[in-house]
Amino acid sequence: MKPETLWTGAALVAGLLFLSPVLYTIWMSVLTVDSYYAGDPVLTLDNYRTAFGQYDFLRYLLNSLLVSGVVTLGGLALAVMAAFAFARFDFPGGDFLFAAVVATLMIPGHITLIPNYLTLARVGLLDTYAGLILPAISNGFAAFFLRQYIRGIPRALDEAAYMDGATPLQVLWRVIVPLARPAILSMGLYIFITEWNNYIWPLVAISDSDLYTLQIGLAKLYRENPGEDVINWPLVMAASTITILPILIGFLAVERHLVRGITMGAVK
Amino acid sequence: MSRRLTPYLLIAPLLAFIAVFTYLPILSSVNLSFREWDFLTDGKPWVGMENYRLVLSSSEFWNAVRVTGIFALISVPLRLALALAIASYLVREALPQRLLRGALFLPSVTSTVAIAVVFSWLFATDYGVINAALATFGIPKVYWLQNPQLALWVIVLVNTWKQLGYDIVLYIAGLQAISKDLYDAAEIDGGGRFHVFRRVTVPLVMPTTYFLLVISVIEAFQVFTVVDVMTRGGPAGATDMIVNMLYRVGFTLFDIGQGSAIAVLLFVLLIALAIFKARVLGRRVHYEA
Repeated sequence: MKPETLWTGAALVAGLLFLSPVLYTIWMSVLTVDSYYAGDPVLTLDNYRTAFGQYDFLRYLLNSLLVSGVVTLGGLALAVMAAFAFARFDFPGGDFLFAAVVATLMIPGHITLIPNYLTLARVGLLDTYAGLILPAISNGFAAFFLRQYIRGIPRALDEAAYMDGATPLQVLWRVIVPLARPAILSMGLYIFITEWNNYIWPLVAISDSDLYTLQIGLAKLYRENPGEDVINWPLVMAASTITILPILIGFLAVERHLVRGITMGAVK
Repeated sequence: MSRRLTPYLLIAPLLAFIAVFTYLPILSSVNLSFREWDFLTDGKPWVGMENYRLVLSSSEFWNAVRVTGIFALISVPLRLALALAIASYLVREALPQRLLRGALFLPSVTSTVAIAVVFSWLFATDYGVINAALATFGIPKVYWLQNPQLALWVIVLVNTWKQLGYDIVLYIAGLQAISKDLYDAAEIDGGGRFHVFRRVTVPLVMPTTYFLLVISVIEAFQVFTVVDVMTRGGPAGATDMIVNMLYRVGFTLFDIGQGSAIAVLLFVLLIALAIFKARVLGRRVHYEA
């Protein structure tokens, strides 16, 4: 065997070993409970049927998709507009306002937990989708990151469009957004994943189980495991798989963009 | 839209959200930390420093500070050392390296709740994989998450497993930025592999190390999810982090005043750490790199 094949094999084994907790989770999710405890595997999809049927994980999945989707689109829209302004316009107070945006990166999110809860309670948005979405929409990091990227786009392209009579919004939409697409895509993935995995805010803002996201549904299922003496591990693992799988599939499709997003933000 | 107003209109929506959900809440936290309130009653009487006095004189708070500090002190250096060592192997653009990179990166984008649940099962006393594996060597049951001596280590392990890939990705980017000539020069000078690593690689990735140090310490002081799912701060407070205490005081005991005081103290602590790092470490990085 060629040494390269050997190294590839070794790397594959090491990778699988590292990911074995995840792989084991998926494997366990298709075993019957009895066969799991007996140590004699019998395959079934019943755990998924139970999770989606009896335990509402379909609803949680849709909630997660909806909340993460809206947060991503809203977050990108706000960040792109602000990034364009900071990258291309020279205006009084611009540096100060940019500093105010970047400073949010240093602020621990947990200091806002209690006041944001109170704000939403006051306007009646606890236990609503809006309550899940609104506090997560502003994203200082995305604005900062996109500004850096837009500054790298030649200014002559904007100027040409302005000469042709374009308005700033048209320049943003027709020139900047298409050229910044890779950066916007990376940032969108990053926001989506962060929001998908968000735990503490939905934990605080939501008590109505109809609005649970996957993270909350899974934590509750694992903790409360209603009416069982022994934890129904295969059912819990099916729920975990439902929580992990969408990101896992997306990850395999877009890993490159994701890595670029993370490193571009950090290295600059 | 007038050209002069344009930039303000473009940033207004973002700033409005930041003002309402980030800056005002900070002021509000400070204000609430001087008041006594339980969510339910109408008045919010001003009590001055009382909440701070209560928090700072409770052993629970100092335990949380200690546990969080130990967690940061163990997990951050562990992550960075492992990540740099692995990244310097994975930096090559060949198939094995690419495969491993993907595998190692995956956990850092995956649900922390799911990971915490999965590791709860791996470390479960009965029917857990690890105890089952140990049993085949005749080792009796270990109470991983029920033993105060062990639980924090399990939390560190889970967190390291989850975050390692992110650190590796950043180190790879840092390593790729190092000119190959420097390595060639070092090898011509007759340096062994370890020598080159210590003399060339480590100093030249200092900026990446510094960046990772800053964000992972900040992260370590805000750890919550893994603990909330796996141990809820137990056993006997052995894994009780600052944010877990904040959540408990604010949202299960409904003590808004003390909860806000804890949030403000965490905020001050992180700012102090940031200033310390900029002053002390920031200078050293520039000096060495």
